[in-house]
Amino acid sequence: MAAALPLVLIVEDELHMRRALRATLVGNGFQVVEASGAREGLMQASGRNPEVILLDLGLPDLDGRDVTRALRRMTTAPIIVISARGQEHDKVQLLDLGADDYLTKPFGVAELLARIRVALRHAARPLTSLEEPIVLAGDVMVDPLRRQVFRKGAVVHLTPTEYRLLITLLRHAGRVLTHRQLLEQVWGANYAAQTHYLRVYMTQLRHKLESDPTRPRLLLTEPGVGYRLREPSEA
Amino acid sequence: MARWGDGQYLRAGGMVAVAIGVCLVVRPHLATVDIAMILLLSVVAAAARYRRGPALLACLLSTAAFDYLFVPPYYTFDVFNPSYFLTFGVMLLVALTMSGLTARIREQREIAHEREQQSRALCALEADLAAAEGADALFAAAATHLGRAASASAAIFALARPDDAGEVPLPNVPAFDDPAVRVAATWAWTRGIATGWGTAHGGEVPVMLLPLRAVTGAAGLATIRPADPAIPLSSAQRATVEAMAAAIASALDRHLLAQQNERARADVEAERLRTALLSSLSHDLRTPLAGIETSASTLLDEAAPLPAVTRHELLASILDESRRMTRLIGNLLSMIRVETGMLVVQQLWQPLEEVLGVALLRMEERLKAHPVTTHIPCDLPMVSIDELLIEQVFLNLLENAARYAPAGSPIEIVAQQDGAAVLVEVGDRGPGVPAGEEERVFERFYRGGRAASADGGAGSGLGLTICRGIITAHGGRIWVAGREGGGAAVRFTLPLIGVPAPAPAELMSC
Repeated sequence: MAAALPLVLIVEDELHMRRALRATLVGNGFQVVEASGAREGLMQASGRNPEVILLDLGLPDLDGRDVTRALRRMTTAPIIVISARGQEHDKVQLLDLGADDYLTKPFGVAELLARIRVALRHAARPLTSLEEPIVLAGDVMVDPLRRQVFRKGAVVHLTPTEYRLLITLLRHAGRVLTHRQLLEQVWGANYAAQTHYLRVYMTQLRHKLESDPTRPRLLLTEPGVGYRLREPSEA
Repeated sequence: MARWGDGQYLRAGGMVAVAIGVCLVVRPHLATVDIAMILLLSVVAAAARYRRGPALLACLLSTAAFDYLFVPPYYTFDVFNPSYFLTFGVMLLVALTMSGLTARIREQREIAHEREQQSRALCALEADLAAAEGADALFAAAATHLGRAASASAAIFALARPDDAGEVPLPNVPAFDDPAVRVAATWAWTRGIATGWGTAHGGEVPVMLLPLRAVTGAAGLATIRPADPAIPLSSAQRATVEAMAAAIASALDRHLLAQQNERARADVEAERLRTALLSSLSHDLRTPLAGIETSASTLLDEAAPLPAVTRHELLASILDESRRMTRLIGNLLSMIRVETGMLVVQQLWQPLEEVLGVALLRMEERLKAHPVTTHIPCDLPMVSIDELLIEQVFLNLLENAARYAPAGSPIEIVAQQDGAAVLVEVGDRGPGVPAGEEERVFERFYRGGRAASADGGAGSGLGLTICRGIITAHGGRIWVAGREGGGAAVRFTLPLIGVPAPAPAELMSC
């Protein structure tokens, strides 16, 4: 194999967390570079050119927003924010500033690897090109060329807005999209604060595509943050 | 007080003139004594109606007229028959007695009127004082009434009792800019005597300084500033003001006592919270931690290699115990937020279905032994909620159901509109809540007789306490009820207040 193992930068001040992340990642075929603070992390990001950055939200030396902005200026590598429960507001800010995804501590290995995989895939192919029909969780199939959606083989009629919403989520499949990002991309910048629009349409979409809308398999809610379409490979 | 200008003399004279006129007309038909009676009548009438002065004028006028016009020799003031002097004397006496009587009655009526006004003003004051919440509101209400009673503008300032040096820390407000006022205020405050305008200790101070002293300690100083200090305070007004000062002081006392009680109650409550937290930290957190430590050190002990199965068991128990601690710490933090009023509720309009979905997904592993059914009408209105908090309510309720209901028994979640609220029920087929314990289950650290739960693990005893805190913060209610066919049902309401802006076009269809 000529291709080098993907390099992950871990920016985390907590030693034990860093150690656990390193062990997990190395064991799963990644190279790891570590930083115990934001400034060191920024140096590593520019010097080592990592393919994914795991950024802890509560670093002591710099504000998470400043770190995210700085990272975005120097690299397009996906940033996955690692946060504690109850930091939803800060998380959303970082996501809106250009972070790609997040994980809430404590998280499992599977979740961590899934996030990194999705991030790497999106980095390799920015905005998943939609041409071939795609099969999604819950026996849902989307045919982008004919703009048709099927569930269990039957055509599902979506309104134009519902379709746009589904396609937007699909382009970022597996990744979280904040309420603001979805509203801006589907409705336009003027609607960025109208989260209840989004919720109404998401509910409708679930009623049309999910077999049990109270236990969604495809259109997942990230409470306080946004939505995520389950990755086809996760199904 | 315009004694001359109010026309009483003129009217008294007029009454006598009318009587004289009548007498002149009827004179040919009556005896002189009868004429005297008619004139006397006018005197009585004037005395009954007017003050002593006008009554005396009526008396003199009618006596003179009687003498001059009706007693021979006519048209002179000479009197032939000395018995007429008796008539004059009687007329005079009647006039004096009558006017004395009426004056007293009038005085009493005025006093009664003043008393009535005073007690009405006091009643109004008491009502406003009782309604006032907090010392500031109390002072504001009291100042309004004081000002009204004294026909002046009044203000009340909270003051501490004078310190040992007798220094009075007067507030730095324009009311006390005048050095004379400052001196008077200090004097009034240290002695507890009303000073200045309208009091016995007036001096040249244009303001009344009225100390309000409460038995309990802190108190206030009222300043009453008349529009024109030259106009004195009437004795009735002064009495009202004094009565009001007493009422305000006792209202202050009540307020301060209530405050002390409230503080004492809060202290007891805080103390109970501390004790409860301490026992929870010392037991509930240390137990899983001890398990983790033991498992980990066993795993690390290279002297006694473990079979793979045992290693796996120990690792699994470390994971389990860590998760339990995570849950417990989360619950403790939520409980502290709820109980100390630090809960921040960020309400947004959203479908209940979505929040429930998140909770069900997160509980999937825990709930796999139970068939879970949900009934949410698709036309259920959106609710204005903090999704993370309501998610936690669902998590706690589902956690309880999973813990106490036997494996395989169904869990049902029903939501429906109920008037101006959405009513949600999470029902299980577990042992239910013992009769009489329906309220106690919401007490913190309540585990009741259910400590030995279906899955063997005890809860933190905080779940329902937190749920109640969260639902209450949303303006709803939460309670437990029995279920037909057995089991427990926790019901809660989420009020539907206001409506979200409608979504554009393409509306929701069921």
